[in-house]
Amino acid sequence: MTGKTAFRQGFALKGGDFVSAGRASCAVKELLKEIGLDPQTVRRTAIASYEAEMNVIMYARRGRLSLAVTPGRVLIIVDDRGPGIPDVPLAMTEGYSTATPEMQELGFGAGMGLPNIKKNTDHLRITSKVGYGTRLEMTFLANGSKP
Amino acid sequence: MTETNRHALNIDTAKCIGCVHCLTTCPTRAIRVTNGKARIIDELCIDCGECLRFCPRGAIVAQTTSFADLKSFRFKVAIPATVLYGQFDNSTLPNAILFALRRIGFDYVYELSTICELNNAAIAKYIDDHPAPRPLIASTCPVVVRLIQRRYPSLCDLIVPIEPPREIAAKILRANLPRLLKVPAADIGIIHITPCPAKMVSINHPATMERSWLDGAVSIRDVHGPVLKAMRQSRKDTVICQLFPETIFSGIGMGTALSGGETRGLKNHRTVAVSGVRDTIRVLDQVEMGRLKDVDLLECTVCPDGCVGGPLAVEDRFLAKSRILRLVNTLGERTVVDSSDMTMLYHKDFLSFRHPVRPVKAPPLDADPARAIRKARLRTRIFRKLPLKDCGACGAPDCRSLADDIVRGLAALADCPFMREEKR
Repeated sequence: MTGKTAFRQGFALKGGDFVSAGRASCAVKELLKEIGLDPQTVRRTAIASYEAEMNVIMYARRGRLSLAVTPGRVLIIVDDRGPGIPDVPLAMTEGYSTATPEMQELGFGAGMGLPNIKKNTDHLRITSKVGYGTRLEMTFLANGSKP
Repeated sequence: MTETNRHALNIDTAKCIGCVHCLTTCPTRAIRVTNGKARIIDELCIDCGECLRFCPRGAIVAQTTSFADLKSFRFKVAIPATVLYGQFDNSTLPNAILFALRRIGFDYVYELSTICELNNAAIAKYIDDHPAPRPLIASTCPVVVRLIQRRYPSLCDLIVPIEPPREIAAKILRANLPRLLKVPAADIGIIHITPCPAKMVSINHPATMERSWLDGAVSIRDVHGPVLKAMRQSRKDTVICQLFPETIFSGIGMGTALSGGETRGLKNHRTVAVSGVRDTIRVLDQVEMGRLKDVDLLECTVCPDGCVGGPLAVEDRFLAKSRILRLVNTLGERTVVDSSDMTMLYHKDFLSFRHPVRPVKAPPLDADPARAIRKARLRTRIFRKLPLKDCGACGAPDCRSLADDIVRGLAALADCPFMREEKR
């Protein structure tokens, strides 16, 4: 994505901060609507970035959500300093969850987070290092054919 | 934008002094003050009536049907919202209120709680017949429908396609009254009595059909005085109402004037009720981000505590709510609708939308996405220069809206008094 044509914005995320959880994804969603992307792309981006943002809030100490938009695509990178994911393929399995009862009380931890992100992105790259952190690179094509 | 002047709220420029109260209360940031007068931006306004509630000068006027407008109908029919039953003291029976409506000039009065129950039963059936998607969203509050069309276009498909009680009632009357009363259909005017300015918009510009079944909406504010007077003048009516309780009220239907009223009737479903425009926006944001998928029905009413908190009601909403709760408790779980009647109407599509709710595209920063992106970047740069005091002195509700207006070519940086000072 070339720097000149893209709109970029970054959002700081704080682990454990459930009160402001969802604010970054909500702002992303509003921005994409204002730029005039089609509603389904906006919705897919909103769902995936919200799941990614919640993962940071639930598991990591802190993180950052970075948005870059061009007319054809949306790139969202969510980077965190946290426990990392020991087994990425396992975490991608529907129903697999490491959520605590507290998280489940808040309606999370059904083991659908990463699979849901995968389902809503056109391209997803996860890199993770145990004890260090996780990085999600999510690409959404403006005319993507995902659900 | 084709949606111009489609609003029930107007500004009386003679009364408006250009203060900033309405600017900051508007949840969709749809008001600007230009040349000392407030102005509503058509494509952003959702007719929630927050401005009407907060304007200290009474300069925001709701366009509802007046008594003079009713004269054009030879035969006048009233469908009062159940909220009306909470507008008078505890000793006033709903029957006496309905009786008084006849005294003040309505030829026929149709009680709505029964139809609220019918609507509720139809929603329950629709939920059972459609296991996905979730959460479904109730369509009763016209502002919620307009809000979804404009700000949450991807949620249009979640709206339960069952017409709200007021439209079902008017449709039933339209189909039967000419025959029952032997009056030509064209002479009959069917009027909703309501605490809500948005009902007028939903009648003039319905979102789910070509033409509303209603002919107009009179505000509770306008009928309250005359009804009170009629009740005082003819105390005998009250006695007659006691001796001949002609109307049957529904316990389930009565509660729909309050937030949680629709979900109360859905005993076997997972439901969430939200009231107030800001909480409604918050919950719809969550739905758009994929939450609440384990909820069958989401009931949103933009007025605080539900329709009982409508800006065109007269009585304080906590008193009205207490009275309606009392009626609900008295009536209990009394149901009056035969489920086989409901099923028959449901399968005949008598209760359904004529067409689904369609998105209304909000204007992006620019029609061309590449230019829209450039404008978004420019907006961020402008926003960073602004004082972030959100004072409203420029005529926009906050610094972010001013930056937005500037890149859309609707305002200038010099509109900000702080920027002018800096230049000096």
